Amino acid sequence: MSRLGHAGLAALAAGLAACGTTGGSLVSFDVAAAGADGASTVDTALGWHVELTRAKLHIGAVYLNLSVPISVSQDTSCIQPGVYTAEELSALDVDVLSTALQPFPTRGAGTDDRAVTGEIWLTGGDINADTDPTVIADLAGTATRAGHTVPFSATVTISSSNRGIPASDPSLPSQHPICKQRIVSPIKISLAPRDGGTLVIRVDTHAWFANVDFAALPAGGAFPDSNANPASQNLFSGLRAATASFQLAFQ
Amino acid sequence: MSYRTIAMSLFLAFPHPLAAQPAAPAPPPPPAAVPPDTPVADEPPRITQQQPPIFPDVARPRQQPTEVVVHVAIDATGAPSDPRVVSPPNPPFDDLATVAVQGWSFAPAHKAGQPVAGALDVTVRFDPAAPITGETISITAKLTAIERGHATAPSVGAQDVHIEAGKLATEIPHKDATELLGWAPGFLLSNEGGEGHAEQIFLRGFDAREGQDLELRVNGDVVNQAGNLHGNGYADLHFVIPELVQSLRVIEGPYDPRQGNFAVAGSADYELGLTRRGLTGSYEQGSFGTRRALLTWGSPATNSHNFGGVELYQTDGFGENRDARRATALGQVESSLGDAGLWRLTTGVYLTDYHAAGVIRQDDYAAGRKGFYDTYDFGQGGAATRAFVLGDVEFQHDDTTTHHQISLTAHTLRLREDFTGYLLDQQAPFQQPHDQRGDLIDLESDAVTAQAQGFLRRRAALVGLPQELELGYFARVDRNSSQQYRVGVANERATYPYHKDADLDATVGDIGLYAAVNARLAPWAALRGGVRTDLFSYDVIDNCAISSVSHPSKINPPGDASCLSQQDFGRYSEPVERSNTAGTAILPRASLVLGPFAGVSPSLSYGEGVRSIDPVNIAQDTDTAFARIKSYDVGVAYKGSPAELAVELRLSGFRTHVDHDLVFSETAGRNTLIDGTTRTGGSVSGRITGAWFDQNASVTVVRSTEDATGLLIPYVPDVVVRSDSVVFSDLPWSAAGHPVRATGGLGVTFVGPRALPYGQRSDTILTLDGSVSASWDRYTLGVNGSNLLGARYRLGEYNFQSDFHSQAQPTLTVAREFTAGAPRSLLVHLEVAL
Repeated sequence: MSRLGHAGLAALAAGLAACGTTGGSLVSFDVAAAGADGASTVDTALGWHVELTRAKLHIGAVYLNLSVPISVSQDTSCIQPGVYTAEELSALDVDVLSTALQPFPTRGAGTDDRAVTGEIWLTGGDINADTDPTVIADLAGTATRAGHTVPFSATVTISSSNRGIPASDPSLPSQHPICKQRIVSPIKISLAPRDGGTLVIRVDTHAWFANVDFAALPAGGAFPDSNANPASQNLFSGLRAATASFQLAFQ
Repeated sequence: MSYRTIAMSLFLAFPHPLAAQPAAPAPPPPPAAVPPDTPVADEPPRITQQQPPIFPDVARPRQQPTEVVVHVAIDATGAPSDPRVVSPPNPPFDDLATVAVQGWSFAPAHKAGQPVAGALDVTVRFDPAAPITGETISITAKLTAIERGHATAPSVGAQDVHIEAGKLATEIPHKDATELLGWAPGFLLSNEGGEGHAEQIFLRGFDAREGQDLELRVNGDVVNQAGNLHGNGYADLHFVIPELVQSLRVIEGPYDPRQGNFAVAGSADYELGLTRRGLTGSYEQGSFGTRRALLTWGSPATNSHNFGGVELYQTDGFGENRDARRATALGQVESSLGDAGLWRLTTGVYLTDYHAAGVIRQDDYAAGRKGFYDTYDFGQGGAATRAFVLGDVEFQHDDTTTHHQISLTAHTLRLREDFTGYLLDQQAPFQQPHDQRGDLIDLESDAVTAQAQGFLRRRAALVGLPQELELGYFARVDRNSSQQYRVGVANERATYPYHKDADLDATVGDIGLYAAVNARLAPWAALRGGVRTDLFSYDVIDNCAISSVSHPSKINPPGDASCLSQQDFGRYSEPVERSNTAGTAILPRASLVLGPFAGVSPSLSYGEGVRSIDPVNIAQDTDTAFARIKSYDVGVAYKGSPAELAVELRLSGFRTHVDHDLVFSETAGRNTLIDGTTRTGGSVSGRITGAWFDQNASVTVVRSTEDATGLLIPYVPDVVVRSDSVVFSDLPWSAAGHPVRATGGLGVTFVGPRALPYGQRSDTILTLDGSVSASWDRYTLGVNGSNLLGARYRLGEYNFQSDFHSQAQPTLTVAREFTAGAPRSLLVHLEVAL
């Protein structure tokens, strides 16, 4: 084919390409996380004044959804095709006490559809793995109530053995899959990613200790890493408090 | 088929010169002599007008000047009768010589100034080198049924393309018969499922999938499978050996009442035939361990519709997991039923087994995690078998033609495809805990199809002009049993089936009636069309109707069973559900064809079509014809032979509207129903044949949009350019008295960037395929090449969700995926005519 013919066809194709679209666009964007203002100090409803000296949270992945994931008894899947519109697949250990933006190692990608919920995956690997030794939260500080101060520390992991919920109904053996314990969802949002912007995840510690009674901690103040301990269970629930603990915005 | 036969078939309305020479002074051969009762004449009979005989398509060694002596009686009015060949037998020249002589005009013998009966020996000369111009051949009325061939339906306008295969089939490499569709304007073929998987066809802004929107026929028998679980209308043409395709008729759009179900974007009818007579064997071998052996046979004493062919093929395939094997046997016999009747029997068996590579994610390729020709899942592939018998009879009397055809086909299909990786395996609470086990789909289909069709066509004169009325019928039943399983994948290998997605037994029926006219409104104006009505019936048994339950029995939990036999709280229920429904469609179609005016024929067409429902979507009393199509076409066609060339040109514009369409939704992960869509476009195409070349080319432009939003429909190409060129000539040397003949072919395909979801555009596709060969005596040696530029191109590009565990966390959003086009390949080809 002559150069003229090739150029002509290319021009024709380019002209047609400019006439019309299928709508929407694919986008890629930066992703960063940081602590919310005042994250180092928390006053709880149980009267505890918490001063955090160390607070790190491991975020394994972030997903934005254009619909609310199904959460009814007939479906306990952690992955539901058709709802995801954007994602960040790399992991980050966020210093929650810092309000400075901490970037994720890789960029996020998706579409410019408006997302209405977000998901934070607290995992170090396979979301369905029975055992995951990854430290999801590493906390330290003091809690004071009525003049009594309790130094505390917490290392939170999520495995079937320490955070799993046994099936209460033998006919529903997968009623509480371990992946559900690792996914914080639904986080209510309303944002449309765009090319070149930044998705910012603010982690707010105020809900973490909402129902934690530090007086129930063992001597030494170390949270047992298990839902068998009420304080630890309440801390774990606070970490996964969805919209109360996580705010997502696009800037 | 030689270029001459191509030219001849195009010539029936064109001027062309005398290619036969008058007989005198030919010596009188024994035993013929003037009959003893014929008066000795003062002046013998003489020829007053003659027309050239048709030079038959014979093997190259016989393509030389040939003479046949015919003794013919001439009565006192000059009418010829009782022609007899008196030279040594020389089929097929003998029959063609007698046919030619019967069409000539004679002046009778005279004695004493009075016309008397006499006889004449004429020598009919066949000269393959004679130029072609001159007068019109008109010998149809004197031919027997087998010489006339099967009745054909009249053209419905510029969008009705009839192509004789000829050198386009033999000199441009074609892997299978589906690729021959590229001879008609606007076709793009894609295949994400491997060499044994039917091609995905794009035409005029339609994603016709593997036959959903394009009616495909072989010798008039519909190939599309109604009720196929993989896709309603699935049509696999790999059982057709490309060298046994004599011609192809494509009607773009639903404008002919003879077009039935699936003719949404149009229809294509392959006519089988072997123009090269004798026994021919060929073998080719080349890139990627590809080997092909072909044997064809056609007795020189019979016509091109009598043949047998066997093909064996295997390849290791390029890249990963693309090996394939197939074998095909096709045979056909045709013969007369008296002078007015014709019968034909076609039968074939086809077997294939293959692997497929599936798609590659663009981000994995860009990051170096996957190669361009790699695969994620080595379990992909399939197998298919097909066995069929097809028979038809036709009678052509002076004013009536009747035709009846029946066929019986048994076909099996197995497809294993994995396009989503680890995404679809949902955790139900009543199942044992499990990870995503893998999305390899294993589909099996066993089907039997019985089909019958026919017509009665009556011709009569009205207001001094020829008119035709045709009444036709079509009846078809498909019995289909299909299951689809999901198979686990570990380390890119298939493990075991863990879930049954579907289990259907379906009986699909279609009975159609049509009335068609070919009405001459004036000598220069014909109104063609009519009305068709179809009744579609479905009887579907879903053997896995219950796959989920909200409150399972505590005493008898369903566990991991795919097909449940309980409803909420353990209420027992059979796992099956039966649905039946039926619906009708009335489809008017009409075309106004004008001219020809100096070879130019403008046309205007309107037609309505219907897309029948997929059995997977059947519920009790659902409307079976769930989408209706309205289509308009305007065009102009030219046929002529200027400067000793045979020229066909076509220009057409079209608009097609579908009231409810199916478009793939990335977010839903399946085809979803949307409101209306409209496709508007045009094409320019043509074919020019000369003494040393054959050129076919087309350009098609189309815009496909959703009515509600004006947004483009994704995946369909909006610019398709195709060119096929063949040149041939004797070289200036010979050996042992036989010349050496060289032939070269080149096929060019260009596809502009296709619209993809989310405002994206695909890459362009530009590929060149070609061949060169040299023939001497009965031997031909050549080289065929595909993708001569060695372009690394993406044959199919898609945007959808998939997760192949290629990154640390699941990839759950829409991403670009592609199927790789084949790299450069070369095959050495040897052919021997025995």
